[in-house]
Amino acid sequence: MTSLSAYLSHMLRAEWIRSFFLVKTKPLTKPAYFMDYPIDTGKRCTHCFSCMMICPVPDAISVLMVGETEGEDIWKPVLYQGHCIRCGLCVEICPERVLASGDIIERVRQDSTYMQSTFHILVNEGKCAGCGTCSIACPVNKEIDPILASKGTTTSDEVIMRVKAGVMRVLHEEKCTGCKTCVLHCSYQAMDVARVIECLQYESDDETSATNEGG
Amino acid sequence: MKKVVDVSIPLGPMHPSFKEPCRLKCETAGERVISAELELGYMKKGIERIMKGRPWQEVMFLAERVCGICSVIHNMVFIEAMEKISHIDVAPRAAYLRIVANELDRIQSHLLANYSFCYTIEHETIAMYLLNIREEAMDLLEILTGARVTCAFIVPGGVRYDISDDAIARIEGGLLRIETETTRYAKMFHEGPLIALRSKGVGILSPEEARRAHAVGPTLRASGIAEDARMHHPVYQTLEFKPLTRETCDCHARIMLRFDEIFQSIALIRQCLRMLPPGLIRSGGTCTRGEGTHFGEAPRGELGYHIVSDSYGRIKEISIQTPSIMNIEVCAHHMVVGVTSIADVMATYISADPCISCTER
Amino acid sequence: MSLLQKLKNSVRKRSIHVSFVDTASCNGCDIEILACLAPRYDLEQYGIYVHNNPRDADVLLVVGAVTEQWIDKLPMLWDKIPEPKVAIAIGNCAISGCVFHRPGSYTDPPVSKHIPVALSIPGCPPRPDEIIQAILAVAPIAFKDYEKKL
Repeated sequence: MTSLSAYLSHMLRAEWIRSFFLVKTKPLTKPAYFMDYPIDTGKRCTHCFSCMMICPVPDAISVLMVGETEGEDIWKPVLYQGHCIRCGLCVEICPERVLASGDIIERVRQDSTYMQSTFHILVNEGKCAGCGTCSIACPVNKEIDPILASKGTTTSDEVIMRVKAGVMRVLHEEKCTGCKTCVLHCSYQAMDVARVIECLQYESDDETSATNEGG
Repeated sequence: MKKVVDVSIPLGPMHPSFKEPCRLKCETAGERVISAELELGYMKKGIERIMKGRPWQEVMFLAERVCGICSVIHNMVFIEAMEKISHIDVAPRAAYLRIVANELDRIQSHLLANYSFCYTIEHETIAMYLLNIREEAMDLLEILTGARVTCAFIVPGGVRYDISDDAIARIEGGLLRIETETTRYAKMFHEGPLIALRSKGVGILSPEEARRAHAVGPTLRASGIAEDARMHHPVYQTLEFKPLTRETCDCHARIMLRFDEIFQSIALIRQCLRMLPPGLIRSGGTCTRGEGTHFGEAPRGELGYHIVSDSYGRIKEISIQTPSIMNIEVCAHHMVVGVTSIADVMATYISADPCISCTER
Repeated sequence: MSLLQKLKNSVRKRSIHVSFVDTASCNGCDIEILACLAPRYDLEQYGIYVHNNPRDADVLLVVGAVTEQWIDKLPMLWDKIPEPKVAIAIGNCAISGCVFHRPGSYTDPPVSKHIPVALSIPGCPPRPDEIIQAILAVAPIAFKDYEKKL
């Protein structure tokens, strides 16, 4: 009997009766704060590849050159639905705010949080044969020294890495974008690139500088 | 005593009550179950193997996808294990926000478990009520983290987003709605005479058996043993937290304990939101070399991550101890034995809240 | 096409019988499909009925990256569904394998390798409203021109 009274007291409430006759199912919409697939905001992409480097899923995002205006290349991040898991990390890390999803950009600007990525090139000296394939394959090296791209040799000390006196030397680790092209091209599995991400927040006193930077 | 087996009944792998594939083979005499055996292997994806050699930002998402129902706790335990290894201090505000996300996740997981039980014993009224109020909990999780299921909210040193005053007000309003509605449904469940026929005295797990077979989580606490990994968590120690227990050891006790824990979670979230300290939500810090184990309390029980990492914070070795593997073994070897009908086998199995996905990974 | 067949097809468009199979997902998509049953979304007002037996269904919802155990069982299950039938791949796992599609895993995605898939719903997991909209979108097209082969 007690359970019957529980059901009756549940179903004889004015709210229940009203909702029984009047309530309609909600329309199939998404709330504005839901992290949906990132969309392009139209800002200029500088092809720093940080969105590609932080993406936790294989083949979900790639930065492509889509055209050319006034002698300058136009780059755009392209997302692949069916791979993208809508985590929003690419939106959060993009320094130019090219991508937008949900209210991530506003929340990140309000909290003045940011992510910092550093890349470390690790050469296994026991396996490395000093062939220099990695330094020729490296896209950043090619951009720094055009001679490397055409001839395959370089004497510049500005490149990320090159073979010096038969030994592989990493000269400028800070220029690495973490693309792992060298890892793919190494025939001896001697190369490894570690992507280290740090989650940080500006202290409250330099919050203004953060907002300027983010805006 | 000589065993007299009439027929051996396989349940699964595709069974209406199982949402996931798994096979339960019951040896029965008449309809009384004499023994049961569990056959797994339909869901093995090899997540731990994929995790090796990857940095935290990739493993975090794999850890979330060990179990989609309780994804926040997997995220939290993995990140806290990494923080323990690399000696990263959590920002105090973020530590409380983590608890809020985790307890919201626990509410929706417990409501889902109770929904499955009510659905299995064909009490669809309460089942649908519970599923509807669960949507409220999912909305609150979405307000906080921006996603419904796999939210990726917790990062080393803090959380992804801060909470605004507007969101706090909305979460408190939502919690009030969940509390009033769930109180009513818990009363219906507790006092229903037909539910009592299907749940009281069914699937009894004595405290000795529970202790010996290493049951965890609500399954253990419904047998009267107060054990909860949250007791050892530094942030929970600052809150008024005490593990809840029930003494009757049957299906009814397990479901009612989940209802009790929903109210406890609501109280914990309210405390967290009240005590929320101002300040930063991220403290920075990179992951480094080390080895460590960390335990946390998932909705289904104790969850452990053992991690060996290299000097750049990449995972060298990882082993995950999930709660469901213990609970469903306990279910097959102790709870189901002696149950008087096959229909009750299903109800007993569901009352242990099995999650095959995180059992096999 | 006979008049009877046309009538049958137009009825099929509006009453969609759905069954659900989990080929090793993370449970995220499962619970989002389960959430569709909730009174808030109320699947049945759109004429979608969920069956537990694939033999009763017209539409098979497939979730998850196919594991080794499922490689032979999934086509078997697909054969048991009576014509006309369509399969819908739900979630990234069923479409591309997503985070599990990496060297060393025991999965064999995508689902379309094993059974013909009519539509895929991306998302990890997709929201319930996305799932409902996709099912409603595919049913009128899939069953429009069906004719029984003798």
